[in-house]
Amino acid sequence: MILTSKRILMGNEAIAFGAMKAGLQVASGYPGTPSTEVMETIASHASKYGIYAEWATNEKVALETAVGAAYSGANTLVTMKQVGLNVASDPLMSLSYIGVKGSLVILVSDDPGPHSSQTEQDTRAFGHFSNIPVLDPSTPQEAYDMAKLAFRLSHEMEIPVILRTTTRVSHGCADVVTEDIEPAGRDIEGYVKEPRWTIFPKLTAQRHPWLEDLQIRISDRFSDHFSENTFNSISKGNSKIGIASSGVSSLYTNEATNKQTGTFSHFKLATVHPFPEKAALEFLSDITDLIVIEELDPYLEEQFLQLIGRHHLDVNVYGKKNGHFPVSGEYDVDVVIEGVNSSLQSMNAEVPLLTHSTPVVARENIPSLPVRPPTFCAGCMHRTVFYAFKKAAAKLKKENGKGTVFSGDIGCYTLGNAQPLNMVDTCLCMGAGISMAAGLSHTQQYQEGNYAKQVAFIGDSTFFHSGIAAMISAVYNNADITLAVLDNRTTAMTGHQPHPGIGLTAMGNPTKAIDIAEVLRSCGVDLVETIEADDLGKCIETAKMAIEYEGPSAVVFKGKCVGITKATGQYVIDEEKCTGCNFCVSQLGCPAIFSMSSGIPQIQDNCTGCSLCAQVCPSDAIDLREVLQ
Amino acid sequence: MKFDILIAGVGGQGVVLASRLLATAAIDAGYHVATAETIGMAQREGSVTSHVRIGDEVCGSLIPAGNADLIIGLEPAEAARNIHFLSKDGSIVVNEHAVIPSASANNAEYIPEHVIEFLKENCQETINVDFTQLAKEAGTYRATNVAMLAAAAGADLLPFNPEELWSVLEKMVPEKYRELNRKAFDMSLERVSGMKDPEKQEQVQVQAMDT
Ligand code: SF4
Ligand code: SF4
Repeated sequence: MILTSKRILMGNEAIAFGAMKAGLQVASGYPGTPSTEVMETIASHASKYGIYAEWATNEKVALETAVGAAYSGANTLVTMKQVGLNVASDPLMSLSYIGVKGSLVILVSDDPGPHSSQTEQDTRAFGHFSNIPVLDPSTPQEAYDMAKLAFRLSHEMEIPVILRTTTRVSHGCADVVTEDIEPAGRDIEGYVKEPRWTIFPKLTAQRHPWLEDLQIRISDRFSDHFSENTFNSISKGNSKIGIASSGVSSLYTNEATNKQTGTFSHFKLATVHPFPEKAALEFLSDITDLIVIEELDPYLEEQFLQLIGRHHLDVNVYGKKNGHFPVSGEYDVDVVIEGVNSSLQSMNAEVPLLTHSTPVVARENIPSLPVRPPTFCAGCMHRTVFYAFKKAAAKLKKENGKGTVFSGDIGCYTLGNAQPLNMVDTCLCMGAGISMAAGLSHTQQYQEGNYAKQVAFIGDSTFFHSGIAAMISAVYNNADITLAVLDNRTTAMTGHQPHPGIGLTAMGNPTKAIDIAEVLRSCGVDLVETIEADDLGKCIETAKMAIEYEGPSAVVFKGKCVGITKATGQYVIDEEKCTGCNFCVSQLGCPAIFSMSSGIPQIQDNCTGCSLCAQVCPSDAIDLREVLQ
Repeated sequence: MKFDILIAGVGGQGVVLASRLLATAAIDAGYHVATAETIGMAQREGSVTSHVRIGDEVCGSLIPAGNADLIIGLEPAEAARNIHFLSKDGSIVVNEHAVIPSASANNAEYIPEHVIEFLKENCQETINVDFTQLAKEAGTYRATNVAMLAAAAGADLLPFNPEELWSVLEKMVPEKYRELNRKAFDMSLERVSGMKDPEKQEQVQVQAMDT
């Protein structure tokens, strides 16, 4: 008997439980919002269920680790966000030719909006590109159930399977029915030597037709096994208008049309790649107009257009391509209502338009409110380091007229771009700060010595992710750059995961801590300093020295993330001594200090006692009010 | 049954925890629930919201404009920023205590009282209290979110009563903070019961003037 229970789970937690129920044995990932909690949940249950779980240094490494385990017959999972899949795409593209034993599920979270990402990529398109099946759940419950399906499918077909979620599924919470997990049957066959596991051009040529044929077989399976939990469904309406949707857009569609249930036929697709062609053809057979509702790329729309063209069907398609739906940004019920109405109008349908609810105040009529751009937390060490470099660069500019270009990177310290620090001149992807600084240093202007010095910032976790290779390349190629490593002893932005510098594994076991300064030294960086980030004066001095050094130099700034450490105290502004110069406010952008129209700034409750403002106050007017335990 | 709650605040104010508490209470009461929360980059001192949808059917987690039955605003401007989600007969529970954004955002001066007035003009049932002050009096400003949930339950604005809500809190709040949260919870209940009953409210005011 299977025991079930209903509880509130975040989509990511639901996936973790689904994977564990499916017999997960090895899991590897790199944290990235919105995917992170899948691995966190697994890691925290790993010992209970006999699972091995780890944070890898990057997504490529994570995938390759899982592949190795899968070749031995293990049930494996890798987790990442959409941009992480780019990093992992090298092994992924080869892997689809070779396939796996055991099972391998790749959890990729997309981020329409985007809320916390550099891009609005669509992983469904990646599945298409790499010939790997993609499942697209719409709720945490489906995420749980489809995680199990993904493992089954992977095992049965001997291929990797992508389970793709979007923010509202990954980070939404809902009531989920889960089953009891038994920590049993962890045996694996073990690695068996076979030429099949070594990719060579000859093997590739052999496997490619198999891979293409497999796409058709899976497409048929997704079409045929409608009732057998493919999570695809068709509901028939009484007009000739059909709607196709996938993922969370299916729910928005249901809600947008719920006052007119019965009007539209609705094809909800959960197995988006390979496209279930036969089912789609059947669906198209009794409609004349098709509205396609999906976030991100017009992926389904293109599949339908192709199918309609190939079969010369007389069906009009309304979607992103003809401007009825937005091509970017996140969808919701209101966006869907707008798009459906725009489509209905253009087809002159004899169907009433959908209606919005009327809010008490329309969005346009909300009076202007203070904006809150994201910024470093009060007391974050990064603020001190960026400010130190800003000061150091200003001094050097005065002394020798040379400017400085600051290359940023991905993590909390991307927020160094916020005013008033304004310290991020370039930012592209993980690790790119170092390589771009190197590239900038090789331009002719710079080599003639009359342009600027190059400074790159990187966090501790990102350093291990893709900073090391970039630094080696910079040193090898004689790039004159200064690297500032902002080492706050955690992966802060994604929720404080450990990394190789910490000395703790994902499962909480002690391990070797890799010393960033030592790594830098062995990469050939001649000047490597390590200092604490709490003394501003010393930070400025060290920053200046490192920038002035000819050749690659690096400073590792050690400090703490206030997200995981306790506040040490609170500061207060002495109204007697304060001259109202507003220097503390205008220079630092600490969210704990705000200026008053009366002239004397105030410090709010969220002050953590880092003392930075006290160090910059020219009138010595900021004092420690209270030491917190 | 369908009940949509939007919780709005600033990163670090406990919006996510508040929404988890409501969602858990909803499940305990036998409903389906779907939430959408802000996690990641925007949390760093930015505006955060959580949508909590409680009902008989599974639905998407984002509340459509004009559909929220209740807005819980941990910060006045954040409540106002989301008022387009409120339905015609929805209610607001709002914290009078403002979090002033860092001056570097180049905002015009922020006058929280004006924002509260705007909320009251547009929503008849607006409960405004300095919940941060109230939580501080109970022992820590961090219990503001709990105090506000208690107020919403106490004023009958949730699909479950204060005891049901507390039984969830009791399970979710770590033991060492439990007593403190209970205190904030009770003080807040008392405060709103006073507001509901005009006579009692007068007494509260008189007392306040005495001190
Ligand atoms: S979470 Fe940590 S690293 Fe990120 S801004 Fe806050 S203090 Fe800084
Ligand atoms: S000491 Fe000053 S700079 Fe540091 S957190 Fe407090 S107010 Fe902000």
